[in-house]
Amino acid sequence: MINITLNGKKLSVEEGMTILQVAQQERIDIPTLCYHPLLEPYAACRMCVVEVKGDSKSELKTSCNTKVQEGMVIETDSERTLNARRLNIELLMARAPAAKVIQEMAAQMGIEKTPFPIENPEAKCILCGMCVRVCEDVVGAHVLTFEERGFERKVTTAFNMPSEKCIECGACAYFCPTEAIRVEDFRGREVLHSELTLGPTTAIRIPFMQSTPNVPFIDKDNCIHFKTDKCKLCEMVCEPEAINHDVEDTFKEIEVGSAVLATGYELLDCSNMPQYGYGRLDNVITSLEFEHLCHASGPTGGKILLKDGREPKGVAILHCIGSRDENYMKYCSRVCCMYAMKMAHLVHEKVDAEVYEFYIDIRAFGKGYEEFYNRMQKEGTHFIRGKAAEVTNAALIPEEENKLIVRAEDTTVNMIRRIPVDLVILCPAIVARKDSEKIMKLFGLCSTPDGFFKEQHPKLGPVSTDADGIFLAGACQGPKDIPDTVAQGAGAAGAVMSLGDEVAIEPIFSAIDEEICVGCKICIGVCPYDAISYVEDKKISSIEETLCKGCGACVAACPSGAADQNCFTNSQIEAEVSGALF
Amino acid sequence: MKPYRAELMVCAGTGCVSNGAFQVKDALENEIKERGLENEVRVVTTGCNGFCGVGPLLVVHPDGIFYQLLTTKDIPYLVEEHFLKGRPVQRLMYTPPEDKLPVPKMSEIEFFKHQMLIALRNRGIIDPENIEEYIARDGYTGLAKALNGMTPEEIIQTVKDSKLRGRGGAGFQTGVKWELTRKAKEKTKYIVCNADEGDPGAYMDRSILESDPHSILEGMIIGARAIGAQQGFIYIRHEYPLAMKRLLIAIDQAKEYGLLGDNIFDTGFSFDIQVHRGAGAFVCGEETALLSALEGQRGEPRPRPPYPVEHGLSGYPTNINNVETWANIPVIISRGAKWYAEIGTENSKGTKVFSLVGKINNTGLVEVPMGIKLRDIIYGIGGGIPDGKKFKAVQTGGPSGGCIPDSLIDLPIDYESLKEAGSMMGSGGMVVMDEDTCMVDVARYFLTFTCDESCGKCSPCRDGTKYLLDILTRITEGKGNMEDLDLLEGLSKVVKETALCGLGQTAPNPILTTMKYFRDEYESHIKDKKCPAKVCRQLNIYTIDEERCVTEGHGCGVCMRECPEKAITGEKKKAHKINQEICVKCGACYDVCRFGAVIVE
Amino acid sequence: MPKITPKDLARIREKSRQSTTLREGAGRAKVTVHMGTCGIAAGARDIMSALMKEVESRDVKDVLVTTSGCAGLCSREPMITVELLDQPPIKYVDLTKEKMQKIFEDHVMNGNIVNEYALAVGSERAH
Repeated sequence: MINITLNGKKLSVEEGMTILQVAQQERIDIPTLCYHPLLEPYAACRMCVVEVKGDSKSELKTSCNTKVQEGMVIETDSERTLNARRLNIELLMARAPAAKVIQEMAAQMGIEKTPFPIENPEAKCILCGMCVRVCEDVVGAHVLTFEERGFERKVTTAFNMPSEKCIECGACAYFCPTEAIRVEDFRGREVLHSELTLGPTTAIRIPFMQSTPNVPFIDKDNCIHFKTDKCKLCEMVCEPEAINHDVEDTFKEIEVGSAVLATGYELLDCSNMPQYGYGRLDNVITSLEFEHLCHASGPTGGKILLKDGREPKGVAILHCIGSRDENYMKYCSRVCCMYAMKMAHLVHEKVDAEVYEFYIDIRAFGKGYEEFYNRMQKEGTHFIRGKAAEVTNAALIPEEENKLIVRAEDTTVNMIRRIPVDLVILCPAIVARKDSEKIMKLFGLCSTPDGFFKEQHPKLGPVSTDADGIFLAGACQGPKDIPDTVAQGAGAAGAVMSLGDEVAIEPIFSAIDEEICVGCKICIGVCPYDAISYVEDKKISSIEETLCKGCGACVAACPSGAADQNCFTNSQIEAEVSGALF
Repeated sequence: MKPYRAELMVCAGTGCVSNGAFQVKDALENEIKERGLENEVRVVTTGCNGFCGVGPLLVVHPDGIFYQLLTTKDIPYLVEEHFLKGRPVQRLMYTPPEDKLPVPKMSEIEFFKHQMLIALRNRGIIDPENIEEYIARDGYTGLAKALNGMTPEEIIQTVKDSKLRGRGGAGFQTGVKWELTRKAKEKTKYIVCNADEGDPGAYMDRSILESDPHSILEGMIIGARAIGAQQGFIYIRHEYPLAMKRLLIAIDQAKEYGLLGDNIFDTGFSFDIQVHRGAGAFVCGEETALLSALEGQRGEPRPRPPYPVEHGLSGYPTNINNVETWANIPVIISRGAKWYAEIGTENSKGTKVFSLVGKINNTGLVEVPMGIKLRDIIYGIGGGIPDGKKFKAVQTGGPSGGCIPDSLIDLPIDYESLKEAGSMMGSGGMVVMDEDTCMVDVARYFLTFTCDESCGKCSPCRDGTKYLLDILTRITEGKGNMEDLDLLEGLSKVVKETALCGLGQTAPNPILTTMKYFRDEYESHIKDKKCPAKVCRQLNIYTIDEERCVTEGHGCGVCMRECPEKAITGEKKKAHKINQEICVKCGACYDVCRFGAVIVE
Repeated sequence: MPKITPKDLARIREKSRQSTTLREGAGRAKVTVHMGTCGIAAGARDIMSALMKEVESRDVKDVLVTTSGCAGLCSREPMITVELLDQPPIKYVDLTKEKMQKIFEDHVMNGNIVNEYALAVGSERAH
C-alpha cells in the first residue's frame, strides 16, 4: 500500500494504480477524452492533467498514465490544472466544434466560445486515436491509421481507400467519444444474427431467453477474435475467467436403443413472395419477428413500435402466406389462425390500433378455440374474408400517404378492398426443414409428398416409423400446434418405454439362398433398411431378419434369384398366377 | 608501416566536402605524385575538423600549419612551396578579423586555442575509415580496461562518479540511467545511440560520427557491458549519408577485429550493433518516438511513464544516449572518473560541443569545458560579430531553446544557468544574432519549424503551436493587437506545461524568452506597426533617396526591372519613385540596389 | 584477420607510433632538410631520400623529418639541421649520402654530435 494525499485527503492506495484510477475510486471527476479502461493509456488529449506537488516544484502530469508514488501530493482542480484544461478544451473546440462531448465539457467549465479560429464548423474528430487504437490493439484488423502530421493529422485508412481488411465490427464507432464515426447499414448485407434481424446483437450472447443451458455462447462467425486473432475483451472483463476462446466443438457418440425425432420445422421464406414486400418495404414483418418484438427481452423491451419508433395506428395480419396456396404449399399450416388471433389480442392490449385479419377460413377446431374467435370478434378485430393479394406503399388517395396498403378481395361483399395500415404481419407457411432429407437418410425414413417425415401408419402408427426404434414427435411429422405436439411427444416416449427385450419382426421378410448367391452386392445397395450385409468369409450377402421389413426390393433386384421372400416366394406367386389363369 | 616526413590532413567532413574538399584532395595527390613526393608526404582524409566556416581546409603535420579556403588552383603552388621547398604559404593561412598577420599554426588560432577536446579528441587527427589509426590514439583501451579489469557495477560507478550528463538535451545523469536499465527485471536489454540530430544549425553529432565513429562504438560496447545489453542500435537520420557510410565501415572493421560480435576479448561477453536509418522526422529525436520508429511504427512519442529504461524497445528495458554522450564514455573509463569530474562546474561536468553559427566570424564546432562564459565563446573562440555589428542575442538549444540577450553575456554555460535564463542546453546549437535580427521573426521562424515537425498526437502541440504561429505571423504582418500578447503568453505556458513530449514542451521557449527579454520589440510591432530590425517586410516602408539615386546610381533602373508589381517608375539618369499604393513590400528593390538608394523605414 | 586481444591493441599502437608522433608534432628528434632552390640544385633531394631510407630501415618512430627553405649559406648546400629534445640545433653542411648515414647513426640515434661535418652549434640566431 502507498500513502498519498489527494485534494488534501490522506489516502492509502494499492501500488501500481494510476492517479486517474485512484480519483475514480474516490469519485473525483477528472475529465478524459482519449482514455478507456480497456486500452493502454495514450495521454494525447491532455485533459486529465493534475498537479503533482513536489518539494521544490510542482508539475502538471497526465493522470491516466502516471502511477501513484509514496508521498505524492495531488491536486485535481488547482487553478493551474483548470487553466490548462480550459485552454486545451478551447483548442479542441476550434478543431471539433460539432462534437457534443467537447461542447458539454466546455460548458461545464463555463466556456462559451473558443478564441481560436474555427476551420470547419461540422468537424467532430478530436484525434484522440481511440478508433485507431481499438482497431489496432483490440480488434487487430489494422484498418485505421493516422495520416500526415501536426495540424494536418487525420484518421484514415491505407491510401484513403476502403479497406478489405475491415471486418465491419463497428468497434471504432463504438469507442469514438465524439460520434465522428458512423456505421452505415446497407440493405442486403449480412447482419449479425441471421434468424432475427430486428435489433443489434453481440457475438457473445445467450441464444434466447429460455435456452438450455441458459449460458452465453460465442458466435464464431461474428466474433472478432476468430477473424483477427485478437480482441478477447470479454475474456479481460470476465472476472471468474469463464471464457475460453480455444474450446473446439466436440462430437460425442452415445449408444442408444431407440431415438425420438423432434427436429421441428421452418417458416417459409417470405422474401421470395414479392407481392407482400417482405424485405423490401419497412414494417412488413413475419409472425415470428412480431413475437420477438412483443417479447419483454426483445429489441424494444416489449413495446410494439414501427421502425422509426412510432406506434402503429393500423395493423394488418395476413393469414395463409404460402399455405393452402397452389403456388407454394397446398396444405393448411394449422396453427396460423389461432396465433394470428392471439397477435390481434396482443396489439389491442398494447397499442391503440385497428387490427385487420385477412383470412380464407377461420379454422378454430381445438378445445376452446372457437370461443377465443368469438371473443376476438367482440374485441373489435376486423375479420376480412379474403386472402391478401398485395402489400404496397403506392398511395392512390391522401389517406394512404406514408402507409402500407393491403389489397384483398373481400368475398363476403364481393369487392376489392384497400386497407391502409402501418404494420403488416405475415403468417408464413410451416414447411419441412431444408435438412430433413439428410435426417431421413440417416435414420432410414420416408417422407410424405409435402416433405415432412412419414409416420408408420396415419391412424394406427402415428408416432412410430418404418424404422424400428425410431419415433416422431412434433412438427417434423407435419404442422401441428402445441397441444398436439405435446401429446405426440408423450406418445413417442411411451412407445420407447414399452419396447422391452423382445422385438416384433415382420411376418414377411426376405432371405438369401447361400447356394445360389454369387456375392454381387447389388441387394445391399437397394435395401432401404440397411438389413443386408456381406459375409466376407463365405463371399455371399446375408439378410438380418430383425431389420428386414419385407419390402421385396432385394428380391426384384437380385440377378441370380438368390433373394426370396418367405411366405411370398417367386414360386408361390408363379403358382398363384398360373392357378388364376388356368 | 612506411614512415612519412609529412602528413596532410584534409578535412572530409560534410561541410568541407560540399565546398570541394574531395577535389582539393585529388589535386593534392596528383601534384605530390608529379613532384615525386609520394613516398615522403602522405594525404590523409579526416572527419570534420570543426572550423567549418573556412573549409575546405588542410592541416600539415608535423608543423601543425593550418590552411583554409583552399581551391584546386592553390594546390600546385602550395605543394611546391611548402612540401618541396619547406616554405609555408602565408596567403592560404587563417587571418583573424581586424588583424593583418596570418596565424600559421592551428594550435595558435583563437578558434582552436580555447577549446578542450574530449568528445572531439580525434577530430582532424585520424582517418575515420581506418580502425588502426583510432587504436593508435589509445582507441579501445577503455574497452579493454572495462572488459578485463572491471565489473559492470564498477563501470556504472565510474560513469556515475564522472557525473556525466546526457548530451542530448535534458541532461539526465548518464550513470543513473545505466543503473536503472541494469536493474530492470527483463533479461533482454537494448541500448540505442540517438543520432537523429535535427536541430536547425546543429551538427556536432554528425561531426563526431564522421570524424571518429569508433569512439561511439567503443562507448556503446562499454555501455552494453555495464547494462547487460545484447544488442545495440544506432538510429541515424537519413540526411547524414557520409556519417552513415563511415559508421558502417567502422562496424565492419570492429567486427573483423573481434571488437563486436561474439565473445569479445575472450570474456564471454557478446554484443552487436545494428544501424537504423531514420526517415526524416524531427520528433524521432525524442526517445520514445525514436523507439516507435525503430519498431517500425509511426514515429510518435509515447506517454512516459513507463520510461524506456523499464519498458522500451518492443517492451524491453532500453537505454538511449546521444552520440556525444557515447563518445565521452571511452575516455572516462580509460582516464578515470576523477579526471573527468575535475572539468566543468559543480553540477555540469566535462566538456560540451557547441555548433557556433549565425552572425559570428568563426563558424564551426567548438568543444569547451562546462561553465565557460558566453562571452568567451562569442568573442574569444567565435571572434566576435562580423562587420563590427552589435551582438544582440544568442539562441541556444535549437528550436526548443530560448534566446539569451546581450545583458546575460557573462552567463556561465551549464545546464542549470541556461535553464534559469529560460533556454536550455539542448543538443548544443548556438545561433548568434546581431542587431539586424528581429526577435519576433526569430520566434516565428522557430515556431514554423516546430509546428511543421509536430507529430500531431497531443492537442497542445498539434493545435497549440499552429495557433501560436498564427498569432506570431499576425504580429509580424502588423495585424496584431495587445490582447494577442496575453493570448500568446498564456497559450505558450499551457503548451509548455501540458504537451506530451519534449518537442511540444519546449516549442514555446523561443516565444517566452523573446517576450521576456525583448518585449519592446513585440510592442513596437503591434503599437507602432514597425519592425525595429527592419526584417518584417510587411511593416517596412520602402522609399528611394532621390538624390542618391541620381548622383550615385545615375538612375540605373535595376529596381524598376526587379519590382514584381511595377510599383517603381522613373527614367534613366533620373530619380526613381516607389508608388506606396502598389508596393507589396517584397524588398526586391532594396536587395538589388547597389547604391544604397533604397531606404527602409 | 583473427580476433584481437588487449595485447594486440598495444602492438597496433606501437606500429602506428611514427604517424602519431608526426601528427602530435612531438618527437625526440627533428631533422630539417634545407630545400631552397640552391639546396635542391646541390642534391638535397638525394639527402632527403637517404634520410627517409634510414628512418624506414631502422624503423624509428620518434624522429620527425621536415623541410625548410634556404638557410642563407647557399655555397655549403646540401645542408640539414638536427634538433634533439632540449638541446641546441646543429647544422651540417656539404652533405653526401654517406655523411647523412653517419650523422643519423651517431647524432640522431645516439646523441653524439659529428663534429667533422658540423657547421656550427646553434641556429643562426644563436650566434
